[in-house]
Amino acid sequence: MDFAEKIVEVTKEIFETMVMVDVTPGSPLNEHVSRFECSLSAMVGFAGFKQGNLSIHAPDKVARGLTQDFLGMDVEEINEDVEDAIGELANMLAGSLKPFISENGGKVELSLPSVVHGEEYTLTVVNKADWVIVPFTVAHGDFLVGLELKKQA
Amino acid sequence: MSKAVLIIDDSTTMRKIVNRSLRQAGLEFDTVLEAGDGQEAIDLLANEKPDIILSDINMPNMDGLEFLKTKAADASIKDIPVVMVTTEGGSEDMVEQSMSLGASGCVKKPFTPDQVNEVLGPLL
Repeated sequence: MDFAEKIVEVTKEIFETMVMVDVTPGSPLNEHVSRFECSLSAMVGFAGFKQGNLSIHAPDKVARGLTQDFLGMDVEEINEDVEDAIGELANMLAGSLKPFISENGGKVELSLPSVVHGEEYTLTVVNKADWVIVPFTVAHGDFLVGLELKKQA
Repeated sequence: MSKAVLIIDDSTTMRKIVNRSLRQAGLEFDTVLEAGDGQEAIDLLANEKPDIILSDINMPNMDGLEFLKTKAADASIKDIPVVMVTTEGGSEDMVEQSMSLGASGCVKKPFTPDQVNEVLGPLL
């Protein structure tokens, strides 16, 4: 199983079990995306034997909608609840991918989630990394799940 | 007799979701206490004695493993059962460490109310 397949598997499991929404995966992107507009990005870092990060990137509307579904409450704007909810989804995705990432290797630790949002921002790309970005569709729109892992020396 | 639960997680979202899952699992508590990390929980346990504790592992300040160690050293709270609720469920190492430090069980995120009931039910 490759990383894209594993991302699809754990994303479907987490969103269907915890957020209780259906997600439809698309084909992995051919080009890296690091610039976003009116969006929110949540990231969890991998440290140790493998280094990199897991990220979720969602337009504001989708981030608000997912938080609404997750917490069962109305969400009018990007606030602490949205940041925490999408950060926690990234945390669960990273935790579910961790055994797969550290397979046949050493110890891998997870960072706490970090979240950014804004009208326009660019994220740093991990230098010399293998990456995969998978788009998903929910009722509120589309979002991306990305995984970057630094190449072993 | 009234029952109380303490939920320890740095994510307010997860505290809400765990609380909701307890209700959906049919596990009703009269009092739901919350703490944002292990230290906050230890401070709270000086005055409150819940029937069971659910704790995340990966938290700032005092993480779940350090919380287990601190709790085990305090005779007034050491016997309260703790269930770890964690994204690290896939990591046998983290689960084993928790159990060796006195955790009574582990629920892996993502979880269903049935899975929560399966682990917590026998402890209540």
